[in-house]
Amino acid sequence: MRNAAINAVIEKCAARNDIFILSGDAGLGVFDDFQKEYSDKFLNMGVAEQNMTGFAAGMSMTGYKVIMYNIIPFLLYRCYEQIRNDICYQKLPVVLIGIGSGITYAPQGMTHYSIEDLGIVQTLPNLVVFSPVDPVEARLAAQYAIDSDKPVYLRLAKRGEPVLHTCNTFDISLPQVIKNGSEVAILFHGSISGEVLKAANQLSMNNIDPMLISVPQIQPLNEDKIMEMLSGVRHVFCVEEHYLHCGLGSILQRIKVDRMAVWDLHLMGIPYRFIHEVKNIDAMRDSFGISSSSIFDNILRILEVKNG
Amino acid sequence: MDSFAKEIRKNIIHLAHISKGPHVGSALSCADILASLYDGTLKLDPWDERDIFILSKGHAAMALYSALYVSGIIEKATLDSYCQNNGLLPAHLDKFSARGIEVSSGSLGHGFNIGLGMAYGFKKMRSSRHVYALIGDGESQEGSIWEGALFGSRLKLDNFTAIIDFNNLQGYGRSCEICSFSPIIEKWSSFGWHVVEVDGHDSGALKRAYAETSNEKPKIIIAHTVKGKGVSFMEDQLVWHYYIVTDEYRSMAMEELK
Repeated sequence: MRNAAINAVIEKCAARNDIFILSGDAGLGVFDDFQKEYSDKFLNMGVAEQNMTGFAAGMSMTGYKVIMYNIIPFLLYRCYEQIRNDICYQKLPVVLIGIGSGITYAPQGMTHYSIEDLGIVQTLPNLVVFSPVDPVEARLAAQYAIDSDKPVYLRLAKRGEPVLHTCNTFDISLPQVIKNGSEVAILFHGSISGEVLKAANQLSMNNIDPMLISVPQIQPLNEDKIMEMLSGVRHVFCVEEHYLHCGLGSILQRIKVDRMAVWDLHLMGIPYRFIHEVKNIDAMRDSFGISSSSIFDNILRILEVKNG
Repeated sequence: MDSFAKEIRKNIIHLAHISKGPHVGSALSCADILASLYDGTLKLDPWDERDIFILSKGHAAMALYSALYVSGIIEKATLDSYCQNNGLLPAHLDKFSARGIEVSSGSLGHGFNIGLGMAYGFKKMRSSRHVYALIGDGESQEGSIWEGALFGSRLKLDNFTAIIDFNNLQGYGRSCEICSFSPIIEKWSSFGWHVVEVDGHDSGALKRAYAETSNEKPKIIIAHTVKGKGVSFMEDQLVWHYYIVTDEYRSMAMEELK
């Protein structure tokens, strides 16, 4: 997914000469191809995130399309106030590419996880936010970001995520039906896609045929489209590699109340606490109930209760 | 005091009076610096190719609004809407509020780094536009300033000039006691900057400092100033970071600025 996004940037460079990449001393090897072709459009800003963000805002004000690249906590948390005041308040079309979404970096430790970033971005008006599920969505989101006149945050996992989409072009600002189904819908985004897909396959083998909906654009969220897609659905599940209380699930909770939706809603994600456990990503997903088998078990259990 | 600076000061007192807000001492401190910039140093014509002035110490916004008004960049009605209900100008800078507000600021340690980015952008475009950023001495305690100081010299940004309004009074005491910058010249020199030290109320000295060649280095002007300068009972008094300009204070200040 990371390479798909970067390749989209390189492709865009053929048509426009204003793109400039700033790295916060991250992404060794990621920009080799870009630097080969556009060596004068790349700067490693060192380990100085506040300066990097203000500097990006300044370059953007002179007309450059600036792309900032870093691991999410260092892109978004360390320099939150610069993102807020320098970029979002001034409505500058800077692209923030963050990698390591969710617990992608397990077992590197809590400092390197990004399981609250969607809570943080909800405090930043003007910021458009993408959490793609696969390389196809990552590529389209990167293209969207470069063409946008607003700041855009791309929340990427890392690499090696499976391709879910069969079509390469669609409106990335809208939720996407990955697989049709009835009665049950699973909404998801970001790095958890592979687990959701496996769980859905298991459910199919148990005569449950969930609709799978990816939500690449988290902010602003097209609520009308969500409501339209969920009309006729009875049970909605949201699965994300993110804190339960401030991610997509909590946004859906608000929508459900605001719109007086009739579907019931069940959230799967990471509980609100710091992660101290040392586990690889699979073991950690399992302990948080978001591995494929946990998702399958949870949905089956809830449907049995609901359907008596 | 030259007439341009005196007009800025009169308007600062006016704004502090109508707003009943703080920071009049901070604004008076940098009035001569803004006068030296807006009175002939900044290239403002054509507007689209203008030099950029960033007030990084955004709490001195009254000084910038006054300079923009005295320069004819904003209207009297705009100026007089400062901090009024449904007015245009807030107490800290919002770049969407009026012509000539280049950067939104108010939280310290932001404008300096934005300025570095702008200077780099202009340099990459081979533009001759120059970027000036005014920072406070209290503001210089921000880590972001020193991140930028480290980085600025690497890029040989000789189209960037920072000015420190060095009045040695910040929000809660003397800057030299809270977090001393001494030896400030050696600090900035060792970071690779061209350093000039001047009397921040001497327009001629400031203009000579702007004109001085920096040999491919970014420049920093250490401008020694007095907080509240120009109004005797406000000079070098910490309380005038906060005190309100009442009707009586207004009359006394305006009398001195005649």
